[in-house]
Amino acid sequence: MTFPLVTVTLFLPLLGAGLLVAWRGVPTRGAHAVGLVASGLTLLGSLLMWARGIPGEGFGQVEEVAWIPSLGAAYRVGVDGISLPLVLMTTILFFVSLVFSVQVSERARSYVALFLLLETACIGTFLALDAVLFYVFFEVTLVGMYFVIAAWGYEGRQKAALTFFLYTLLGSLPLLLAILALYLSSEPNTFDMRAYIDSPPLAGLGAMLVLLAMLVTFFVKTPVFPVHTWLPAAHVEAPTAGSVILAGVMLKLGTYGLVRFALQMTPDAFRALAPYVAAVAVFSALYGAFVALGQTDLKRLVAYTSVNHMGYVVLGVAVAAAATDTEARTLALDGAVLQMVSHGAVTGALFLLVGMLQDRAHTREMDEFGGLLRIVPTLGWAFVLAAFASLGLPGLAHFPAEFQIFLGTFYVYPVAAVVVLGIAVTAGLYLRAIQAAFLGEPGEGQRKMEDLDAREVFSAAPLLLLTVLLGVVPFVVLDVVHATTQGLLP
Amino acid sequence: MTAAALTILGPLSAAALVLALRRVPAALALLGTLVGLVGAGLALAGVAGGTRYGATLPGLPGLPLRLTVEPLTAVLSVLVAVVGFLVMIYAVGYMTGEESQVRFFAQMSFFVAAMQTLVLAGDWVLLLAAWELIGFSSYLLIGFYLERADAAAGATRAFLYTRSADLGLYVAIFVLVASTGTSEIPATLGTSGVAAGVAGIAMLVAAAGKSAQAPLYGWLQDAMAGPTPVSALLHSATLVAAGAILMIRAYPLLSPGVLLAVGLLGGLSALIAGLVALAQRDLKRLLAASTSSQYGFMLLALGAGVPFAALAYLITHAAMKSSLFLGAGIFQHARGSTALDDLGGVAHVQKRAFIGFAVAGLALAGVPPLSGFWSKDAVLAASFEGQYPWLLAPLALAGTLLTGVYVARVLRMLWWGAGRGSAVAGKGWMGAGLAGLVILAASLGLTLQPLARLLGTQPPEGLLVAAVGLLVGAAGLVLGWLVPARRLLGPLRGPAERGFRLGGGFYGLVALPALSVARSADALDHRVHAGVLGAGRLGLAVAGTARLLDARGIDGLIAALVSGTRSLGVRARTLQSGLIHKELLLAVVGGALIFVLLAIGLL
Repeated sequence: MTFPLVTVTLFLPLLGAGLLVAWRGVPTRGAHAVGLVASGLTLLGSLLMWARGIPGEGFGQVEEVAWIPSLGAAYRVGVDGISLPLVLMTTILFFVSLVFSVQVSERARSYVALFLLLETACIGTFLALDAVLFYVFFEVTLVGMYFVIAAWGYEGRQKAALTFFLYTLLGSLPLLLAILALYLSSEPNTFDMRAYIDSPPLAGLGAMLVLLAMLVTFFVKTPVFPVHTWLPAAHVEAPTAGSVILAGVMLKLGTYGLVRFALQMTPDAFRALAPYVAAVAVFSALYGAFVALGQTDLKRLVAYTSVNHMGYVVLGVAVAAAATDTEARTLALDGAVLQMVSHGAVTGALFLLVGMLQDRAHTREMDEFGGLLRIVPTLGWAFVLAAFASLGLPGLAHFPAEFQIFLGTFYVYPVAAVVVLGIAVTAGLYLRAIQAAFLGEPGEGQRKMEDLDAREVFSAAPLLLLTVLLGVVPFVVLDVVHATTQGLLP
Repeated sequence: MTAAALTILGPLSAAALVLALRRVPAALALLGTLVGLVGAGLALAGVAGGTRYGATLPGLPGLPLRLTVEPLTAVLSVLVAVVGFLVMIYAVGYMTGEESQVRFFAQMSFFVAAMQTLVLAGDWVLLLAAWELIGFSSYLLIGFYLERADAAAGATRAFLYTRSADLGLYVAIFVLVASTGTSEIPATLGTSGVAAGVAGIAMLVAAAGKSAQAPLYGWLQDAMAGPTPVSALLHSATLVAAGAILMIRAYPLLSPGVLLAVGLLGGLSALIAGLVALAQRDLKRLLAASTSSQYGFMLLALGAGVPFAALAYLITHAAMKSSLFLGAGIFQHARGSTALDDLGGVAHVQKRAFIGFAVAGLALAGVPPLSGFWSKDAVLAASFEGQYPWLLAPLALAGTLLTGVYVARVLRMLWWGAGRGSAVAGKGWMGAGLAGLVILAASLGLTLQPLARLLGTQPPEGLLVAAVGLLVGAAGLVLGWLVPARRLLGPLRGPAERGFRLGGGFYGLVALPALSVARSADALDHRVHAGVLGAGRLGLAVAGTARLLDARGIDGLIAALVSGTRSLGVRARTLQSGLIHKELLLAVVGGALIFVLLAIGLL
């Protein structure tokens, strides 16, 4: 028997959380040390998983244990080229979030324990190959994030946390129905997701209804217009590390589900609906860009650009569903998966940097800043780099992903290419923010602002490095993704 | 191929080293561009000897990145390397005493590396990447003086203008790759029909943005807020040149209709931007408008169907315009200003710089035997002998006339006035860079014949056309020297000085509407959020009602059932009183009831 690397990686954070729960009266430093060690080892685990690689087609590194045999539910985990990069990205983001959070002194034990619980839940969602397991992890992420926002957020946190929780909880109920429908129609009855993928159990109206249910769940999570409004509300109140995880990891649960469930389990229904999904995605992407342009609060601005970037992902998946030739399909799907990873790195960095600004100035209004590049050059140039990555500058993370999505889109729906307008709008909004906050004369009261300390550098630098790597050598990730996507659909 | 790789890696590693070491930035930048220059020279020598190189690098799946060294790309690479190196020499002097030298030289080196990548790119993805990266480099360099509000605004405008136009290149590439299935540039240029037309026009939009053609030229004047070496590089061999280079490389793709559009846009830009240049009161802004006008000549030649004339003009213009900017930078240091009113008589203080400036200016006006004469002659010949001569030739001649007028006007304004000025630091380096470029501006005409042979073509020429061009250029010079610009322009002067901005220009036509759309979208978003919350509240209200119903209905029913049973029990208890007569009565009544029921049953 080989070493159960996937399972160990998956439950390492939970083990850390359990340790913290058991260890009453742990000092603050001790709690953070446990968090760093647990998430660091998890990161190591995911790197080893990356080194092990994936088989050409289907899932690799599968680990299975019977759970409720009479129901066909089991503990099944494994990876393919779509989930593996996302797992790696997740473990990186959790690690840097915990590095950034070492200054949290208020109830540090619960804080770290919650983050570790959240980490297991997020990784588990990507790793699960059993629908019940997937659903459990998917829901646990909600609970974890609810408490993070409600307990460590800003002024309006209670209301925002509740909005977030109810919104996404109600949103995820249709998925439960969809899973039950898949279970009941599978033969023999099973919750094994691989079975649903290998031979989609539903067709016709049934598949369509199940797809619609999934779309509701995953659109809320992604989020897509008009069910995106929980996102800015939650981000504004969430603590910085919470925003990093929320935007960097949890939004991908939606688009990952869109690929894993909607695209793979109801491919024909998705093909029929693809034009509508693509239209919604294009609208959502442009809408997110324009609303972001209308923001003056830097954190809300970054939050809305997520709606824009995730709109591209949804578009890529819709194009992959509709495409009849393999080239366009893999192009769009490669782009969509890479975009998820890129968005994690870039938006994670942006939220960290905005958080660092807020810690210093206690405001996020871009017009209240000025000339920051002179006063805090490291923070300033880091923001410029991340902002240009977010607006899709070549050589940085988003360009290869967006180029593939746009090109794939052009193959299938030439009209939808109007979505490229989004990159001009995002350029406008970031340049406006940079001009207002980072260029010009330094504002009063900011002259004494201090530049980044070691903790901040160590939390932001890995993400910025990743941003550059993904832009310069995207094939390191794309080769893994591509190996899976080219055999994904018949 | 190693040589060609050096052209990119030289300046690129210089940029990285400058940032890493944070010392001797100027020396590293010079070394890096020198390595690049040697590499470009070797690559050109190899190409002249008949070899062709290509390299494939991993990129996106199915879309590898390619570098290609063939005559055209090798020539352009040498151009970028030469101008980059000479401007860098000048910059060493210009930046003496400035702070943030590390940032400056790192960004300049990166700029050159990105431009070399663009020039040598053999596939559309790499070209697009380089295309955007030179825009980014320009943004950083135009905004070099971080505190200055005009620098920040100019940088933002430059990037936004060009990025918006870049969407055209994105669309063109999508069309080409989707219709041919490959991203290799030569393989896609055989596209024909509607796809070629759409791609050609989309590309023209992108090129017009980068090369500051009408109506997208406003940003170029605002870009003057950066250090002068940046302007010199930007206008001659990098950012602005990229537009013309793109069209020259894509020439085989362009259908006659698209070519007409290219030629007309170029011709009109030459005319309009020429008028704008004539009306300027600031030397650098004048040179910027002149750049738009001169790139108009290149597109005009291309539209006439003679890409070689466009290339020749691109090369000679690079030397002429960078010389003019470098001269302007010396004047600027001497007088602390670039306003023409402040520069009167500077010619007598900075004699050598003025001579260089004048040589480059006269070359631009097409005075023989300077390089501009030969290349402008090629453009004019193209416009007369190519397609649509009746449309393009008058535009070319008008542009030539205007060039002569504004060159003479500038020379006169620099000449007349009191000879005063402060000493200029770093003049040795600046003079060396300027001298190199002026020599090129004077002599590059000699290279046009060998260049044509290398590219396997014939330069267009005609004695009559040359004479007409010479006459028109000379007339322009005389007019500009003798007649003040405001008399020449008449009522056009005000609009021309403001750059003929129609409807508020880019800000009024694009930025403001975009911002108002953004505000409406934001307001809508608040309503959507309120709507979703409202729906949620409605749901909660329904749930509340249901709970109330629960409480009153089902719970009530159950409670009623319970209390009914209990009251029944109570009543039943009263029956069992224990009194004999009552019990007997009950027994008799009960027995009678049973009897009756049985009787009914029997019946």
